[in-house]
Amino acid sequence: MVAVQYYLLLSAAIFCIGLFGILTRRNALFFLMSVELMLNAANINLVAFSFQYGNLTGQVFSLFITALAAAEVAVGIGIVLVLYRNFGDVDVTKATTLRW
Amino acid sequence: MTTRPRLKLGSHLVPGLVALALFVVLAAVFLTASFENAQGFGGAPITASIGYAMFDLAGGEVPSDGFLIAFEIIDLVLIAALAAAVMLARRESDGKLVGVESIRTDGGRSADSAADYAGSADDADADADTDTGVSSKEGAISADEKVGEAN
Repeated sequence: MVAVQYYLLLSAAIFCIGLFGILTRRNALFFLMSVELMLNAANINLVAFSFQYGNLTGQVFSLFITALAAAEVAVGIGIVLVLYRNFGDVDVTKATTLRW
Repeated sequence: MTTRPRLKLGSHLVPGLVALALFVVLAAVFLTASFENAQGFGGAPITASIGYAMFDLAGGEVPSDGFLIAFEIIDLVLIAALAAAVMLARRESDGKLVGVESIRTDGGRSADSAADYAGSADDADADADTDTGVSSKEGAISADEKVGEAN
């Protein structure tokens, strides 16, 4: 049986990779991927503690987070599409105005 | 020629150090914390219990809270996200949808090419009628000429 600390370490590593991606990347698609990494790190934590305490609440929560991540990606890709149409690029640093 | 990934130290150095420092802090906290042995689920059916918990039904062998309200709220959020994605993705120009020509009709042709095909088929029919008329006239003229020559 794997100790819960190692799940937490894995989760922290994935979260930090996602944070690094958000801090460095300019491409909106990579942004979305990095946010997904961070959400999945939270999921690993929830499932690990669910197993640790013998309670299913964490696992059900992780399913809900997955569904919310899907919704977020759907809206995010729509925004990326509009970004590309209006600015001709998916670089998030170029969208600095609120002009239509 | 393949290229290997190169480390960009210029603009990525500070964010990389921030992420690394956060990982070090988290790892130090996790590895120094003491946890009891994991309780686990003791061979209980986990998937079935998740189903019972999600719909707030009695019968799950593993303890959990009820999530029916959360399930319905997530349902609404997903529908709203779907509608928002469609609204963001469609292209409108002067109140008219643009890009509809890419919709595939039967035979794998796009709507525009199908319309073109239908138009060209009509034109081809008209051309065929005209051609036949001209050729029959020409045929009649040439027959008259032949009759005249024979006389």
